Order: sequence, then C-alpha cells, then structure tokens
Amino acid sequence: MINFLANPARFMGATAWMAPVFGALALVLFFIGVRLGLFASPAEQYQGETVRIMYVHVPAAWWSLGIYTFMAGASFVSLVWRHAMADLAARAAAPIGATFAAICLITGSIWGAPTWGTWWEWDGRLTSMLILFLTYLGYLALISAVDDEEKASRLAAILCLVGFVNIPIVHFSVEWWSTLHQPASVLRPGGSSIDPSMRTPLFVMAGAYFSLFAALLIAHMRASVHRRRVEAARLRAGGAAP
Amino acid sequence: MIEGGLNYVYAAYAAALGGLTVLTLIIVLRAIHWAREAKKLEERP
Repeated sequence: MINFLANPARFMGATAWMAPVFGALALVLFFIGVRLGLFASPAEQYQGETVRIMYVHVPAAWWSLGIYTFMAGASFVSLVWRHAMADLAARAAAPIGATFAAICLITGSIWGAPTWGTWWEWDGRLTSMLILFLTYLGYLALISAVDDEEKASRLAAILCLVGFVNIPIVHFSVEWWSTLHQPASVLRPGGSSIDPSMRTPLFVMAGAYFSLFAALLIAHMRASVHRRRVEAARLRAGGAAP
Repeated sequence: MIEGGLNYVYAAYAAALGGLTVLTLIIVLRAIHWAREAKKLEERP
C-alpha cells in the first residue's frame, strides 16, 4: 500500500473521491455530535452543564496526539525510504494537528475557568500539551523558513521525530504527576468509566474530528501535488525560454 | 454542582467550531486554487 501510494499519479487517482466523502461524513457526524452534546446528553453531578465542553475538548486532544503520531510515522518513512508522499503527508497534517492542539488548549482553558477557578495552571498535562502545540508551530515555521524543499523536509522530519518524545509525556502526565487535570477516563486500563449517555456523543464527536482530519489531509496533499506539478512546469518553461 | 455555566459551553463550542471552519476554508480554497492552476497547465497547448 505504501509503495502503491508512493507514486503521486496513483495517489491522485486513488484519492479523488475521498476528500468529499470524508468531508460529508464529518459534516453529518458534527451535526449529530453537537446536537447530542448540547441537548441530549445529561449535565454532570458536579460540573453541571460545563461538562458539555468535553465533547469538543477531548476529541481535539486525542487527535492532536494522534495526528502528531501519524506525522512521526510519516517522517520516519520519509527519512528512511525517501518516500515523497510520506513527506507530503507529514507536511499536510501539521496545520491540522496544530489547529486541533490550539482548540484543545483554548476549550480546556474555557472549561478550567468555571471548574478549577483558573484559566491556566502550569501542571504536567497543560504544560506538555502547550509544548506539543509549540512543536507543531516550530515544525510549520521550519518548513516555511527553508527554501530548499528537500532540505526542509529532512530537517522537519528530524524535528518531528525528536518532538515525538513528548507524546507519551502528554498521555501519562496525569499519572506521573499529581496534577489539577483529571486522570484519563476513557483510554485507561480497565476500560472507560464514563456513562454511555456521555460516551456516545464523545465518540461521535471523535469520529467527526477524525473524518474532518482525513478530508483535510487528503485535500491538502492533493493541493500540494498540484502545486509541485505547476511549479515544476513553470520552472521548465522558465528554463526553456531563451 | 456548578450552577449555570452555559456561557462557557457556548464559548468553547464557538471557539472549536469556528477554528475548524477557518481551517477548512483555508485548505479548501488552497486546494481549489492549485487544482485550477494544474488544469490551466494541462489545457495549455
């Protein structure tokens, strides 16, 4: 599969239908998820209505970690096998992951104000999540700052792999340190401790975020393939001119 | 139990859905732009 998609022409042929399908799926899942999250799911015993913030906050957190893991895998493939499409995939995923991380931080801060009495606390989870967001920004700044695309890709891939060390820190921070942030309640040994009436909207929203990621990733990768073709043709035309 | 709090909920949903909408617009517009440029290139004799 990886070898099959290494060819940009094959990639373009195989993915032509994917972005609209995932986009439509994301739209449907967001519609259902927001309705369930805002109106159908119950208020929580202690947090009251503010628990509804969970349905936009937690999926953003999950997928910002997931997207970074995807980027690290793609960067590894790009570095080891010089797989051009893997490099393109890592680059295309970065702005999406950065946005998800920003949404996680902003909605978490809004959730913290009424429940913790503070917008921000330098505890393990919040700080490691902020570092993840800054790593995304560093990755994006690096690929924009270096003109030579091949060199930029190699440097960005190395940065991405170094930054990957932060992913387990983000996940386990709530277990390693006694923090203000609550421990994991879904992805934990022994299974989820959330009531199904809250778990369903959470999983629907997680599906919506994933579908949107898939749609935007494919659309962004296809745009990058088009851009490279156009720029290569312009270069050839410029070189051929007398 | 925390009383009220819906203003925080709406603010969080606005931030999340607003951020995702802006991201989607940027990527879709970029995709349309480069698809058009590539098509122009193919149509050129």
